[in-house]
Amino acid sequence: MGTHPHTSPVAHPETDLELHGLWRVVVLNDPVNLMSYVVMVFRKIFGFDDATARKHMMEVHEQGRSIVWTGLREKAEAYTFTLHQWHLTAIIEPDEASH
Amino acid sequence: MKRVIEQEAMKRIEVRLSLTVVAPLLDVIKSVNDSLQDKLAAPLEMGEVDEDLREIWHDELIGAQNSDIAKLLAMFDREFFANGLIAFDSDYAEPVMRACAAVRLRLREQFLKGLSDEVLEAGEVEMEQLAEPPRTAFMCYLFLATLQELIIQHLDTITGEE
Repeated sequence: MGTHPHTSPVAHPETDLELHGLWRVVVLNDPVNLMSYVVMVFRKIFGFDDATARKHMMEVHEQGRSIVWTGLREKAEAYTFTLHQWHLTAIIEPDEASH
Repeated sequence: MKRVIEQEAMKRIEVRLSLTVVAPLLDVIKSVNDSLQDKLAAPLEMGEVDEDLREIWHDELIGAQNSDIAKLLAMFDREFFANGLIAFDSDYAEPVMRACAAVRLRLREQFLKGLSDEVLEAGEVEMEQLAEPPRTAFMCYLFLATLQELIIQHLDTITGEE
């Protein structure tokens, strides 16, 4: 009863976060896609409410870019791929604070 | 463009279009489709994505793009040429919207380079001052934007009902 699994004495503190840091998904402006379309895509992909989606859309429109998501690299890549499926220009970049 | 029927059960939308206005635009969409067979409408600027992954994505995105544009073109069937009616349901709405985006991006690249980003974004284009082929391309560009807006409004209506 109560046998403990044999564990290695060597600690493995590295998590994905420590190994790879955080990554940002950044959407860049383009003069073609409609504002309403961009809002709809943000709501659909990220589950944003309307106000949040519009805030990010306006950042893209006025500042040329908006950080729409930050997290682990694998998921950032998946979001970037999906944004490209919707023909939005999106890049991933390291989150400087975590690298 | 006039939305004529919205059937609750199937979430189907039917739009009656002017045949004389829209039919010539289909040739533009088909020509853009031909030019997009092995090319992405939007530049593949992905930042720090590995080269191998970028190549895989490129092929997958091309496949998805071609599939979406095929769905857009399939809407203009015999019924459209008989009475100007196109129809789609909720399942078709998303691919058609993506196809509209792809074709609009390519139209900009192919025919509307002479228009600045600011002019295009503000919609301050003097149609009568455009020569051909940019003039027809711009009409097509506007038509696809209108179709996108119509679908977005339709989806908003469905979301509001749920």
